[in-house]
Amino acid sequence: MSEETQQKLQQVLTDFKASQKQYSKTVAQVRKLEGQLQENAAVKKELELIKDDAEVFKLIGPILVKQEPVEARQTVDKRMSYIQGELKRLEDTISSLDTKQESLQQKLNELQAKMVQEQQKQP
Amino acid sequence: MSSSSTAASKSTPAPPETIDISKIPIKHLNALKQDLDKELNVFQDSLQTLKIAQTKFQESKESLEAITPDSKGKEILVPLTKSVYVPGRISDVDNVLLDIGTGYYIQKDIEGAKDYFQRKVEFVTKNMEKIQEIGLEKSRLRDAIFDAMGAKIKAEEASQAKT
Repeated sequence: MSEETQQKLQQVLTDFKASQKQYSKTVAQVRKLEGQLQENAAVKKELELIKDDAEVFKLIGPILVKQEPVEARQTVDKRMSYIQGELKRLEDTISSLDTKQESLQQKLNELQAKMVQEQQKQP
Repeated sequence: MSSSSTAASKSTPAPPETIDISKIPIKHLNALKQDLDKELNVFQDSLQTLKIAQTKFQESKESLEAITPDSKGKEILVPLTKSVYVPGRISDVDNVLLDIGTGYYIQKDIEGAKDYFQRKVEFVTKNMEKIQEIGLEKSRLRDAIFDAMGAKIKAEEASQAKT
């Protein structure tokens, strides 16, 4: 087979592998964020159940700092919307990786077909 | 104790099975079976994690029973580290501090705390039931695929014996 085709094939294969790696990395990130979102949702639920004058503490390093329930709720809300934003962003990344992988797959198929053709030409 | 409470409530819903599995080639069946095996493993792990979380909440709830109004002023040993304890006295028998996750702690009275743990146990139990149900369905599908594979292999052997 021709040198050129082989080189191209190698290149596409490398790209494909790299994009697969990134894909699984992104999926893992999504999993982690989803877990955090769940945990924050549970905390939010608890914070909504307590009265406004209840004692709420936040763990900062090794110490507990007192915080107003209103403020704590706001913090959790902010955190949740941040996580949701991140999830949205990762979703976009995943769909663009999907399209990229599809086109790479197509290229791969084309190159393989070409290789077969070239091999058949040579006796 | 908080991060493990919802390990897996998400799973891809099985697509409606309209394909006759006896018509799928054996190679694909094998791949399908391996996928299902992997999924089942994940479910098993999640169940394990949930079980641990459930036990923890249950234990926390039970340990609250030990705090009664009589406990006031009683001497206890407070762990500074796992091996160093200092004597202390209980000054507040009405309130406890609960770790509700993500670094937040809230003060609740004993009854409120018991209620909290009860709710948590119920939450975890419900999730466990959900996972068990999905797992059961998946393992049924897996068995069906396994049977189909066996039938295929037998049929192949029979046709090979003929030739």
